[in-house]
Amino acid sequence: MKRLFYSILLLFVFVSLSQAQLREIQFEEFDLDNGLHVILHQDSSTPIVAVTVTYHVGSKNEDPERTGFAHFFEHLMFEGSENIPRGEFDDITQRAGGINNASTSFDRTFYFMVFPSNQIELGLWMESERMLHLKVDSIGVETQRKVVKEERKQRIDNQPYGSIMEETFSHAYKVHPYRWTPIGSVQYIDQATLDEFIDFYKTYYVPNNATLSIAGDIDIDETKDLVEKYFSDIPRGSKEIQAPNEVEPPQTEEVRDIVYDNIQLPLVLHAYHIPAQGTDDYYALQMLTTLLSDGQSSRMYKELVDKQQKALAAASIPFALEDPGLFIAYAIANMGVTPEDLEAAMQVELDKAKDNLIDENEFQKLRNQIESDFISQNSTVQGIAASLANYHVYFGDADLINTEIERYMKVTREDIKRVANDYLKKENRVVLYYLPKSEEK
Amino acid sequence: MKRKAIILLFTFLFSIPVIAQLDRTKMPEPGPAPEIELGEYESFQLDNGLKVFVVENNKLPRVAFNLVLDLDPIVEGENAGYVTTAGQLLRTGTTGRTKDEIDEAVDFIGASLNTSPDGVYGASLTKHIDKLLDLMSDIVKNANFTQAELDKIKKQTISGLASQKDDPNAIAGRVKNALLYGLDHPYGEQMTEETVESITLDMCKDYYNNYFSPSVAYLAIVGDINVDDAEDLVKKYFSDWTVKEVPAKEYKTPRAPLIRKVAVVDRPNAVQSVIHIAYPVKLMKGSEDVIKANVMNTILGGSFSSRLNQNLRETHAYTYGARSSINSDELIGSFDASCEARNSVTDSVVTQFLEEMQKLRNEKVSQEELDMVINYMSGGFARSLESPQTIANFAINTELYNLPKDYYKNYLKNLSAVTVEDVEAMAKKYLQPNKAYVLVVGNAGDVADNLKQFSPAGKVDYYDIYGGEYDPNVKELPAGLTVDDVINKYIEVIGGRENIEKVVDRTTKMKGQVQTFEINVTISQKVPNMYYFNLDAGVMKQEQKFDGERAVVTGMGGSELEGEQLEAMKIESIMHSYLDYSKYGITPELVSMEAIDGKDAYKVVLNLPTGKTKTEYYDAETGYKVREVSVAESPQGTFTSTVDYSDYKEVEGVMYPHKISQQMGPQNIEMEVISVEVNTGLSDELFKVK
Repeated sequence: MKRLFYSILLLFVFVSLSQAQLREIQFEEFDLDNGLHVILHQDSSTPIVAVTVTYHVGSKNEDPERTGFAHFFEHLMFEGSENIPRGEFDDITQRAGGINNASTSFDRTFYFMVFPSNQIELGLWMESERMLHLKVDSIGVETQRKVVKEERKQRIDNQPYGSIMEETFSHAYKVHPYRWTPIGSVQYIDQATLDEFIDFYKTYYVPNNATLSIAGDIDIDETKDLVEKYFSDIPRGSKEIQAPNEVEPPQTEEVRDIVYDNIQLPLVLHAYHIPAQGTDDYYALQMLTTLLSDGQSSRMYKELVDKQQKALAAASIPFALEDPGLFIAYAIANMGVTPEDLEAAMQVELDKAKDNLIDENEFQKLRNQIESDFISQNSTVQGIAASLANYHVYFGDADLINTEIERYMKVTREDIKRVANDYLKKENRVVLYYLPKSEEK
Repeated sequence: MKRKAIILLFTFLFSIPVIAQLDRTKMPEPGPAPEIELGEYESFQLDNGLKVFVVENNKLPRVAFNLVLDLDPIVEGENAGYVTTAGQLLRTGTTGRTKDEIDEAVDFIGASLNTSPDGVYGASLTKHIDKLLDLMSDIVKNANFTQAELDKIKKQTISGLASQKDDPNAIAGRVKNALLYGLDHPYGEQMTEETVESITLDMCKDYYNNYFSPSVAYLAIVGDINVDDAEDLVKKYFSDWTVKEVPAKEYKTPRAPLIRKVAVVDRPNAVQSVIHIAYPVKLMKGSEDVIKANVMNTILGGSFSSRLNQNLRETHAYTYGARSSINSDELIGSFDASCEARNSVTDSVVTQFLEEMQKLRNEKVSQEELDMVINYMSGGFARSLESPQTIANFAINTELYNLPKDYYKNYLKNLSAVTVEDVEAMAKKYLQPNKAYVLVVGNAGDVADNLKQFSPAGKVDYYDIYGGEYDPNVKELPAGLTVDDVINKYIEVIGGRENIEKVVDRTTKMKGQVQTFEINVTISQKVPNMYYFNLDAGVMKQEQKFDGERAVVTGMGGSELEGEQLEAMKIESIMHSYLDYSKYGITPELVSMEAIDGKDAYKVVLNLPTGKTKTEYYDAETGYKVREVSVAESPQGTFTSTVDYSDYKEVEGVMYPHKISQQMGPQNIEMEVISVEVNTGLSDELFKVK
């Protein structure tokens, strides 16, 4: 992320179901000749507009010797353009009463601005400027190099359990570029040359690799004209955009390691390899996660935190990605509880899901929870713009914002038991213990 | 377009030739400004006092209920944490439901339900709100706290406290509150393992019984519901909620420090410092200054384009982000500027923070900069209206803080009316770089020395993670060590009892420098307690004698000593008193271990028969005495005299320090021992007072 104080709560996006209650998100989409995909959603309830661009480039597109590039580029994208001097990008946004920010994941980079609705043309001009001719001077690069180092310290090095994502993914992947995380390694950014930056920009920051998603108080026809006006003259990229073709070979035996950190309470983590997002099994795994850790009646919370008092916190997260991802279950030990004891208790809950079919009542609860989560999403124009873009980029179907719930509702109790057995296997997992540095021998 | 060569040299230009009609050099003009309309709300009140606000919004088939109690904060003292605990206990059982049943019921309808010491929040799909309100009202009206659930919460809380010990921002938040408000103020008091252990079920029950009353409650209902349906539901579930007499509280008002203070919390493994410049400010909610002060703060550090962020991130690249805030509050508000930065630039960050604050005080902002910030804040107001909860919050705030009914309706108008002069006045009033706490949570070994410059007193105060001040030099004593061990080791290392007792008289000659004067000092001593002192500074001479009975000081209007001074002299003059302190009525006491010039030393306090004390430090490793501290009283006031001893050398079987430095007030005298002569047969005449 380019800057502080931006909530990442919108990471997991669902949509709405129950026919009676379905309030469909209407949208239009089209392609420009240069390959830019455009999605427009009109909602006049508040006089604001979100202008967003998703570039289909994340850390998995990086050279292993240049990790952190996509994220670093996220910083450079605010430096200015041919017509926007360095330092002006944010001032212009602010002067127009808007905000902007961005985030980088393994799979994509997302830029957004939210303006009063009369400033939509300004937003389009700004996004088109940096898509057409970004301009960065050496002062900007040097400054952002240092800023990114501070970002890394603030998020990772100076935080308890801060390295958890890096440790998990580097242990779980040997071949696939998910083995590093978006923040990357500092030294590669220092080593990168001007030519490499230009090459990265010209490869990925091109209209045929971008989705422009606009939501808010707009006039659809006028907006189409404005999009045409500012984006149609941006040339299609001439370089080949290659998705990584490395296939992570199946893991055949358990990987187990200890990380010593500046912490007081041990943390136990299991990470299991799972299929890519959008697959049938992915939806079953989402339901499994709801079973394990959504709400205070969920199994991991109820047993580990509430009943046995072994954990301060316990949760599971299906870290689904464009390529096969990880199902992560973790718990932080209460005072005086050993990680071995905690892991054993966690294992019991995972085994229960593998051994027993959940009963109808609990299954209905999961469906209700999924339904509620799904309907409650999409409460902001920025969130809607982001969801529409994600569904288009990852699944080629923006309408999943309305229909994805059907995929959840197709999941059966048997499916949940089956995916638990298929994926939550010992040989398919990484186990990490985070222990206090004082215990390091 | 032609760019200057110098820019070209350092510019990476990702340019792609474009041929188009569009003139991209021109920034588009905005369309006509949209009208920003505040949504409406309806309200009604139950007979028991509960005030209800309803904001209908049908965008999502969902309703949120936010019950808020208007309570004065409570000082919890040595049981700090019981109020929070009571808030958590609310969700753990009612007279009719166990925690398991509540959890199951909430999750079964996919709802969320949270409790706190001053309210309950619940939200669900519209079709489930009847069930949700049944649960919420049961909790509010019929809470049932049990020991088993209390024990669970205490255990969780104590683990939670442990997990915060390595979180620099959690630590900074706590210590900041302790500094700003004091450990005895509801905003500053600290929950610790000890205070949590002491919480009892009765405390929590009392809290619930005293404070959960509809007479102080507001309920905001937001979402897919109309006011009639809302009223029916609220009446059904809350009209039998009984009224209680809720006590009001008063507090002392925290004040900003009179001079700037530097506070450090040491995290020896930190690779970044968490830095705050903060102090309490008197700024009441809704007061005339609030909007203007917020504009001033937004210029300083309220956004990405603000001065602090531009300076510290974009110009100096010290940090990932710097911000400031000014908060209005019913009791006492606060100002806080903060960022996280690498150890090596910690002091530079503080310098820039203080300079930016000073600059905004001293120099008027441009109209352009002001306009930018007003636009930004207006945009923020408009964006906030996207959430229907905002209108409900406006309604509740208007009640809680007795704001004018049209406060939020007039917000944009009042915001755009803020002038350059207003900003200047607000900066002068609320930015106090010289009366602030500089709080740094970081690696003290790396950063503390360079922070002294920000304290007019030239010192850094150390705090533990619960806001308690401590002396970083003080360490725990080795177990079992006694004061006799320390003194006996000293006797042994300087030559042993036998050799020391052989010394019956001794003359020490020293020379040194005070400012530009060279001084020569001669001290002669003879058993049992005769003492002679001669100081020759050229223009100034002083002599002091004690013959065992009487003492006299000559030079500088000298006179015979009497009373306390004479009694002190009698003790001071005893040769080798350390060989048997008790014989002379001196009681030594081993107090602590402290670092003296980076080396551990045992601190021994001598309780003198005069009622006074003197403090000695013995190097933990070598055993030598390295420092003596005594307090001297004079007509000019009380002076602390610190004498450091080093460079021990042997003279006839006994080790004597050959470097002596004395610090008294601002004066520092470095003395070098030229000679130590022993057993030369000094005559009593030398000491005789005539």
